[in-house]
Amino acid sequence: MTNLNRREFLKVAGITGAGLLGSGALRPITAMAKEETARGPYDGGAWIPSCCHMCGGTTGILCQVVDGRLVRIKPNDDNPVGFTNISDDFFANAAKEGAVMCPKGNAGIMALYDSDRLRKPLKRTNPNKGIGVDPRWKEISWEEAYTEIASRLKTLRDAGEAHKLLWLSEDHCFTHVQGDFCKLFGTPNYSMHSNLCDTGRKASFKILMGDERPLIDAINSKYMLIFGWNPLSATKWSHLPRIITRGIERGARLVIVDPHLSYTASKAHEWVPIRPGTDGALALAMAHVILRDGLQDARFIEEWVAGFEEFKDYVKDKTPQWAEGITTVPAERIERLAREFATTKPALVDIWSGAHHTNGVYTGWAIGTLAAITGNIEKPGTLVLPVKKGGKHIEVEPDEAAAKTLKQPRLDGGKGKWPYFHSSGVYAEIVSRMADGQGPYPPRMAVIVFQNLLMSMVGTKNTEEALRKLEFIVVVDTMLSETAEFADIVIPGTTYFERYDLNNHWVTWPVLGLRQPVVKPLFGQPAEYEFVCELGRRLGLKEANDKDLFWAGRMSGQRIEDKTRWYEEWLSKELKEGEPKITLEELKALPGATWVSQKGTKYNKHQEVISQEKLADSTIEENLIFSKKKDGSKDKPIGMLKSDGTAVRGFFTPSGKLELFVAKHKGKKDADGKPLNPLPVYEPREWQPNAEYPLFLINWKEASQTHSRTQNNAFLAELKATDGLRINAKTAAKLGIRDGDWVWVESPHGKVRMKAQLTQGIHPEVVGTQHGWGHWAMGRIAKGRGSHTGFLAPTKACALSGQALNKEICVRIYRA
Amino acid sequence: MPTETETPVKGAATLEEVVNRQLGRRAFLKLTGLGVFTAAAGSLPAVLEAATPKLRTQRRYGMVIDLKRCVNCKACTIACKLENKTPPGVVYNPVIEEEIGEYPYVQRRWFPKPCFHCDKPPCTGVCPVTATYKRKEDGIVIVDYDKCIGCRYCITACPYGARFFDFGENYPAHTTAYGQVPSPEFQGEYGLRREGKSPVGNVRKCTFCLHLQDAQGRYTRPPACSETCMAKAIHFGDFASESNGGCITHEGCNLKRLLVEHRWIRLKEELGTEPSVYYTL
Repeated sequence: MTNLNRREFLKVAGITGAGLLGSGALRPITAMAKEETARGPYDGGAWIPSCCHMCGGTTGILCQVVDGRLVRIKPNDDNPVGFTNISDDFFANAAKEGAVMCPKGNAGIMALYDSDRLRKPLKRTNPNKGIGVDPRWKEISWEEAYTEIASRLKTLRDAGEAHKLLWLSEDHCFTHVQGDFCKLFGTPNYSMHSNLCDTGRKASFKILMGDERPLIDAINSKYMLIFGWNPLSATKWSHLPRIITRGIERGARLVIVDPHLSYTASKAHEWVPIRPGTDGALALAMAHVILRDGLQDARFIEEWVAGFEEFKDYVKDKTPQWAEGITTVPAERIERLAREFATTKPALVDIWSGAHHTNGVYTGWAIGTLAAITGNIEKPGTLVLPVKKGGKHIEVEPDEAAAKTLKQPRLDGGKGKWPYFHSSGVYAEIVSRMADGQGPYPPRMAVIVFQNLLMSMVGTKNTEEALRKLEFIVVVDTMLSETAEFADIVIPGTTYFERYDLNNHWVTWPVLGLRQPVVKPLFGQPAEYEFVCELGRRLGLKEANDKDLFWAGRMSGQRIEDKTRWYEEWLSKELKEGEPKITLEELKALPGATWVSQKGTKYNKHQEVISQEKLADSTIEENLIFSKKKDGSKDKPIGMLKSDGTAVRGFFTPSGKLELFVAKHKGKKDADGKPLNPLPVYEPREWQPNAEYPLFLINWKEASQTHSRTQNNAFLAELKATDGLRINAKTAAKLGIRDGDWVWVESPHGKVRMKAQLTQGIHPEVVGTQHGWGHWAMGRIAKGRGSHTGFLAPTKACALSGQALNKEICVRIYRA
Repeated sequence: MPTETETPVKGAATLEEVVNRQLGRRAFLKLTGLGVFTAAAGSLPAVLEAATPKLRTQRRYGMVIDLKRCVNCKACTIACKLENKTPPGVVYNPVIEEEIGEYPYVQRRWFPKPCFHCDKPPCTGVCPVTATYKRKEDGIVIVDYDKCIGCRYCITACPYGARFFDFGENYPAHTTAYGQVPSPEFQGEYGLRREGKSPVGNVRKCTFCLHLQDAQGRYTRPPACSETCMAKAIHFGDFASESNGGCITHEGCNLKRLLVEHRWIRLKEELGTEPSVYYTL
C-alpha cells in the first residue's frame, strides 16, 4: 500500500491519497472528503473530482462543495492532463509531485458565480439587429422558449428545409448529442470551433504523417525547436509548462521562432524573431543545410520517408542566404540552428497557431519535414502520435426525411471544396457565403452554442452582416455575448461545474476524464444536452428504425422522463462500448474520476507488426491495409506492407510512410482554384505589407485569458486588465509614438484605437496584441476593455484546410 | 488566535549568514522597481547542516522558488485568491515582471513575490499595537485582525511591498453564493465578509496558508500557490525539518539540498531582513 500514499503528510494522517496508480481499484467519491480533515467552519463537504473547462484543455480538478456551494478548486492528481503527456512520467511521479492548474482553472469559481450570468431565457423585441443595437430583451418562460424554438425548427423540417439550419458549437463538450440531433433533424451544417484554432496544423501533419495531432514528448527531449507557439503561457494543456521546463532541466535546449518575444521565447535559450508568415522558408533552409552537409538520418529516410529525392531536389537552392532575405533571420544563424537541430538527439519540432496565414499548411508541412529527415518521429523526446481511445460515439441512423436533406451540400462546401477539410467545418466560408448570398442556399436559422462569432471570427463586419441575414437565431451561452445580442432567443447555459462531459484527454496514451455536475445549475436551467434532448422530444425526432433516441435510455432501453438520467445512460453507453468498458457510476468511483489505460505510452508504433488475426479480417489495396466495414468494404487504414512483405502499422498516408512529396496533389485544386503543390513549398503569404499598410499585425494567447470568453472573469481581469498594442520601440520612435499614446490601428477593413506599449521584444516590422479584448457586451467587467482586431481583418480561410486566417493582417498606425 | 510576540534575536546566525561568511563572496544585481538583489553563489552542505540546529523556532517554514522553472503563468497569484478569498486589490502573491535588453537581445524576466516571512521582519516592530508579529512556533509572520487598527505603518515598513490594505472592496460575485462562504484565513475565524468588520480595514498579507495546518502545526495540504504551480517551481516546507527534506509540496524534494545544488538569492539581502523565501537561479 505504500505507493498509494501521495505525500508524506497524507501518510502521517493515515489516509490513502488520490494516488491510486492502478486505476483498476475503485474508490467512492465520498472517500475524497476524508482526504481533508475538517478543521473549521469553512471546511468540510466533499472534494468532487471533475474536469476543468475554462479552456479546451480539460485539466483534472477537485471541487470542494460545502452546502451545495463551490468553495475551492484544486488539482486532481489522478488525471494526467495536469501533469504530463507520457505514461512513465505519470505513473512514477504524479503521486509524488502532484498535478497542476493554470490561473484560469483557479479562477473558475468566478465563472460560476459571475453576477452577470444569464439567468432566464430572453426574447428580443427589437427586430433590428446590429452591433450596438439594443435587442430590447424580454424575459420569457422556459416553456415559451421551447415552444417557439421547436415550432421554428418544425416549420423548417416540415418544409423539407432542415439543411437550412446551421448549428455551431464549442468542441470540448457534449458534441455527440448535438451532432446526433443535427443528423436526425436533417442538417449537414453542424460545425465546431476547431477551424478557428488548429485545422491548419492538422492538415500539415495529416499530409506528412497521416495523423492530425502529434504531441511533443518534451520531458524526454534534448532539443526543442518551436515555431509560432507559446506553450509555456498559451498552455493548451496544463502539463506543458512542467514537461518543457523539466526537459530543459534534463539538458534540452529550447529555441522559439516567433515575431513576438512571448513568455515562452523569454524562457527559451534562444529567441529567433522572424517576419510573420515566413517560417516555412526558414524550415526549408534548415533542411537545405542538413541535406547539404549529410546530417540526415539516412537509414530512417530509406525505410520510412517517401518522396525524399523530390524534396532534396526542391531544397537544393533554398540556401540560408535565400531564407535570410525572406525571414530576416541571419544566414549564419540558420546554418547553426540546422546543425544543432540535426545533431542533437532526440529533438522535436512543432508549430501551432503561428501558421494562421494563407501559406500555413505548406509552412507546417515544411517544418514537419525537419522531423522526418532527422528521424525525430515516434521516438522518446520527439513528436509522438497519441493513441486516443476513450468513449465511443454511437452512430445514429437518420430517418428518410432527414436522410434527404442531409444529402444537401454543406454551406461551406465541405470535403468537395477543401482538400484538407476538417469535420469542424469552415466558419469563414459559412460567414462569407451568408454575407454575400453566394452559397448553395441561404440558411434560415442558427443555433449557436458557446460560440461568439463576432469576437472569434476574422472580419467582424462581415460576421455582423451574415448574422443579420438569418431569420431566427438561438444562442446558448452563460453570458450575454456580442453574438447573443443578435439572437432572437437567448438560452442561459451552464458552466462546467453544473454539467457532465466525457473528456478523451490529449496525452499520448488512452485516458478519459469525467466532468460532472458538482453543484446544481444555479438558475435551475437545463444542461445543454438536456436542452437538445428536450428539442428532440418536442420535434419527435426518431432514428430510421423508429428508435426514440431522445426518450430511450441507452443502457436500459426504457423510456426515461428525467433528462439528466437519460443523459447519464447515454454516457454509460459510450463508456461501455468504448475503451474503458465501464459504466458512468464506475467511472465516478475511479480515483479522480479518471480512467487511465495501463497500457501506457507507446513509441515507434509505425514499426508494430500487425497480428495475423487483424490481417485476416482486413482488406489490402496496393501496399496499404484497411479494416473492413460490416459490408466488407474498406474502412480505416490500419497498416502497410513493407517492401519485404511484413505487415506493420506504418503511417496512415497514401504511401504508408512520412511524405515529403505527395503525387496525388497533382491535378488537384484548393478552395481558391489554385493547383495544389506536391511539395512543402515556400510561397509568400498573399497579403504583404506595402507603403500604405506597412506593418504586420499579429495576435497571441497568454495564460491569463481563454480566447474571447473569459474577459468578464473578475480574478483574471485583476491579473491583467487589458492589453494594448505592442510596438518595437525603434519603429514607434520613427512614427513619433510614445509609450502609452493612443494610436489608431488601421487596415483597409477598419480601424480601432489602442494604447501603444513600446517594447524591445517584437520584430520591428510587426505590431501585435493578446487576442480576446475589446468586448462591447458580455458583462460589466469585460465591456470596454481593450480593442478587437477582428474589425481589421477580412473573413478569410486557408484554401487547403479551412483554417481561419487570424494572423494575416497588415496595418498602418498613427497617433490618435 | 495565538498571541505570543517575539522580537528578532540579534546575532543568531542564520543559515545564510553562515554560508555567506564561509564563502565571502557577494554579487549584486539590480532589478528595477525592487532595488537590489543579493546573490550568494554556491554553498556547502556541511555549512548548512551546521546551521540548522541554530534555528530559533521549532519549525521554520519557507520557500525555495525555482526561477528556472517559473514560466510567469500567474497560477500562484490566482490560486492564492481562490484559497484565501482575498478581495480586489489584495494580492498576496503577485508576479513581478520586467523587460531588459535591446532588440534582438532582449529578455523578459519575472518572479512570484509572496511575503518572505523574514527572520528579522522590519514590518513587525513598527506596529503600535503589536498586532503583527512573527510566530514563535513556525516563523510565519501574521497580522492579528482583532488588534490591527489599520494605521498601515507596516505597509510602509515592508521593503518588499508584501502588505496590502483591505479597503472593503468586493468582487461582483460577492452578491452571489460566493459571498455566502467564509474566508478560511485563520481557520475561518473571521467568518463571512461584512462591511466594517475585520479584515475590512486591516492590513493583510500572505500567511503561508496557515489555515492548512493541523492542530500540530503540520500542513494537511501545501499552500495553494505551491500546490497549483504549473512548472512545480514553488517548493514549500520546513527548513528546520530533521527528516525527509522538509518539502511539503513535492515528495522526495529536499529544501536544503536545493540550496546546495543551485545558485540562489534572497531579495535585498543588504537590509538584513533574512527572508525565508529563496530564489534559485
